[in-house]
Amino acid sequence: MNRPILVIVLMVLLIAGAWWRLSGQEEGQVRRSQIIMGTLVEITAFGPDTGKLDEVVSRAFSEMSRIEDLMSPHIETSDVTLLSKAVDQQKVSEETAEVIRLGLEIAQRSEGAFDLSMGRLIDIWDILNENPQVPEEARIRQAMDGLGPGGLSLEGRMVSKSNVDLQVDLGSIAKGYAVDRAWQLLKDGGVQNASVNAGGDLRLLGDRKGRPWRIGLVHPRKAGEVLAVLPSADEAVVTSGDYERYFEVDGQRYHHLIDPRTGYPANLCQAVTVVAPTADLADGLATAVFILGPEKGLKLMEEWDGVEGLIVDPDGKVLQTSGLNGRLEWP
Amino acid sequence: MAVAQSSDTGKGSGFKGVMNRLTWLDRLLVLGVGLLVAGSFTLVKAGGAGQRVVVERDGKVVFNGVLTEARRVTVNGPLGPTVIAIKDGSVCVLSSPCPAKVCIRTGQINRQGELLACVPNHLVIRVEGTPDVENDYDLISR
Repeated sequence: MNRPILVIVLMVLLIAGAWWRLSGQEEGQVRRSQIIMGTLVEITAFGPDTGKLDEVVSRAFSEMSRIEDLMSPHIETSDVTLLSKAVDQQKVSEETAEVIRLGLEIAQRSEGAFDLSMGRLIDIWDILNENPQVPEEARIRQAMDGLGPGGLSLEGRMVSKSNVDLQVDLGSIAKGYAVDRAWQLLKDGGVQNASVNAGGDLRLLGDRKGRPWRIGLVHPRKAGEVLAVLPSADEAVVTSGDYERYFEVDGQRYHHLIDPRTGYPANLCQAVTVVAPTADLADGLATAVFILGPEKGLKLMEEWDGVEGLIVDPDGKVLQTSGLNGRLEWP
Repeated sequence: MAVAQSSDTGKGSGFKGVMNRLTWLDRLLVLGVGLLVAGSFTLVKAGGAGQRVVVERDGKVVFNGVLTEARRVTVNGPLGPTVIAIKDGSVCVLSSPCPAKVCIRTGQINRQGELLACVPNHLVIRVEGTPDVENDYDLISR
């Protein structure tokens, strides 16, 4: 080959190669966020056709909004609102029935540490109010009336309450379910690599372009810092903690994770992270394990198929299930 | 100009053959172009290192500024003004009219892709742009 031509060809190849590598970093990625179910939801999806990705991500957001319409206690026509008002059996959508079915299983296996009918308790604590206060003992007792096993029962799509005053709240599991629905729509839409993040409740589709997603587990006592990093793919990761939604009275922290058996915020953990095949399961279990505490919570996670988890106890000591050994990276 | 010619036999094959055909000037040219490409790569990377703070209200960008410039920004939402502070390469919410102050308790964010939201006041704060060093993590579970 003629020398000058050879040199020119080499130069062009070198430049093209370098710039392809440089520009390829951001190619084929769609990242969008939207406020749904009272939290910030972000979906990140990778693929060769960003137009198609954008369309699929829009469908995933619409699906999450549809789930909010079914399960929000603040929407008059939702299944949850109608169920709370019901004086008799109430028929619910298949989606709501699915969530209640899983919630009842978690309630049963956690021996009542998880309860879908504690809407009144959540209302009287009103943690997100501008001036939250510790409710009077009598009000707490009243709000606990009817809670526990058998408070809510499901047959097909028919839901019954043992006490007409019971208020249903699916908040501890519905967000995870909505994340799962979005994940499913992304998958059905042909997306192979994506993440759905609803305020820290995550479900991952595939890996992050050839390497695992790296999930930072937030430190429960050091704002802005991570406790550990979990490399992860094709699973859900959900954390519950006492560090964001709380108020303090006389040095005592009152947070949003109320124990349905005592009527007061649980105090056996600072944070719980659950890794599970689906986000609804991870979401529900993160709450249940937080309320159960380290000993029973760890046992529940070990016994549940496909579930792993990490617990930070009140002293900041970290406990984890055997399946996480060697998986976590510590700073 | 006298160009020193290497043992250009015009024979041989593969890489060795190609190298044999190149003069020292050819090799210098290739090396120079290589260095230029590497330099431009670094320059563009460094340019991207100017990470930015983007604040959105109801999906619309209401503030966009560099993360390296210390400043306070007041953004109005439906509940009132939220004060955002950018300092030492991080951004946080200083004050907010929302009831639970979850946005303040979230603390600082400083990594590409990190999010901070005040849901009641409809504000989303994110860090964008290529970071100086690769993030330790892609997503936060909180």
